[in-house]
Amino acid sequence: MADRIEDVAVDRPRDGNNTGPSGATEPGPRQARAFLPLVVLGIAFYLLCLHVSEVSLSRLVEGLPRLWTWLARSWPPDLSELDVLIRRGLETVAMATIGVSFGAIIAAPICLLSARNIGISPIAALPARWLLNGLRGIDSFVFALIFVAAVGLGPFAGVLGIAVHTAGSIAKLWAEAIETAENGPVEAARMSGAGRLKVFFHAQLPDVLPQLASILLYMWEFNVRASTVLGIVGAGGIGQELKNSVDLLLFDRVLTILLVILVMVTLIDQLSAWLRRRLS
Amino acid sequence: MTPVLAVAGLTKRFGGLDALDNVSFDIAAGEFVAVLGPSGSGKSTLFRCITRLIEPDAGSIEIDRVAFGSLKGRALRQARGRIGVVFQQFNLVRRRTALANVMTGALPRLPLWRIASGLYPEGLTAKAETALASVGLASQRYQRADTLSGGQQQRVAIARALMQETRILLADEPVASLDPHAARLVLGLMREMAKSKGLAILCTLHQPELAAEFADRILLMRSGRLAAPDA
Repeated sequence: MADRIEDVAVDRPRDGNNTGPSGATEPGPRQARAFLPLVVLGIAFYLLCLHVSEVSLSRLVEGLPRLWTWLARSWPPDLSELDVLIRRGLETVAMATIGVSFGAIIAAPICLLSARNIGISPIAALPARWLLNGLRGIDSFVFALIFVAAVGLGPFAGVLGIAVHTAGSIAKLWAEAIETAENGPVEAARMSGAGRLKVFFHAQLPDVLPQLASILLYMWEFNVRASTVLGIVGAGGIGQELKNSVDLLLFDRVLTILLVILVMVTLIDQLSAWLRRRLS
Repeated sequence: MTPVLAVAGLTKRFGGLDALDNVSFDIAAGEFVAVLGPSGSGKSTLFRCITRLIEPDAGSIEIDRVAFGSLKGRALRQARGRIGVVFQQFNLVRRRTALANVMTGALPRLPLWRIASGLYPEGLTAKAETALASVGLASQRYQRADTLSGGQQQRVAIARALMQETRILLADEPVASLDPHAARLVLGLMREMAKSKGLAILCTLHQPELAAEFADRILLMRSGRLAAPDA
């Protein structure tokens, strides 16, 4: 019963994208007519969003000269504190690395419970999926904000923020990867009389291990990029320097920081992409 | 002679269709029984009901005189370990070695850390190597399953069943995906296992000539019924 409820809950958004079986198989005036209200609704929604977000061309034009003077003042970049900034950049990499590793440790049991084709406990599967969706739904930036209040300023708050949010993402992506594993070997292993956890480690995990590792690398790469902003809420790393420099209008320093971020993120992206290519 | 596997009155309906209609038969130790019938005749349903991968609507299954059909949960799981199974698509773990796949038969006896790490105890490793040697694959034991040919994979699957120390081997179209040469090799091997190890073998096939050549007895299936008990 529990299985069926969660099936419906997960399938609903996917169904929403379809125009229904009849509309999909016979394109024609019926499909067009069913589609029209959706288009109108979509346009209305877009216009509403445009209004709410206070888009104003005149304000952009007014602001452009200011941006231009800042840009002009940022050249040449201030390299006097490059060593400090690089160290702060490495702090961001460290935060992301440790945060993702903690996230993976939290994700593992959630993922084992929520993957449909492992089926350790049908009763715990639904709460596990709620938990991972809850963690995923709140950004690490928000978690970091809370953790700064709890454990104080500094990179540790960032680590915790990344860990908690990323745990949800990793668990979801891992569970999806595990669900693509072949069922035949699982059936064969179950016929030996072994329990589901043993069957998982023997017959499912080996086949999806490269995918799981690839997902982990992707989350690491993503978090190095995403956590450059965590310093803004006081959670350590190069983002903290960025905020200070913008507040003090030190634009030559801001440019240096942006360059450090760009180099760092590019290097990590390349490294992660290379490793993931080797895995597949 | 007491039967190792006794099936009586096995019935399964899908919607209004009788996939299995009151099927009864016994298999003794050392006997190779082939179930022959066109596709859709209920062979696979019979196989899946006996292994209880699907639940029969009625009837009894006895293994060594112990009721298997009514077991549930943990007891069912443990009893399943007494049935060796061979599938049409081999169902090996692709990225594991032949040896690790044979070890599948010993999963209930292995602690979780050994399963996850692939560090198997010496005794069981020796046993798995013996099982692989008996299907003629001793030198392929460290080869990854997905690098083996179809016939070799099916022989690994037979070794996997041997590892379970069962007295019953159920095979669902074990040679349907194999070329004629590999098919004869696999069936010959199964027949030899029946004779040398006293296994009771139930094997679904769709080629009458193979059934006639290798089986001690043929059960003919048509529309979910056994046509003649002996042929």
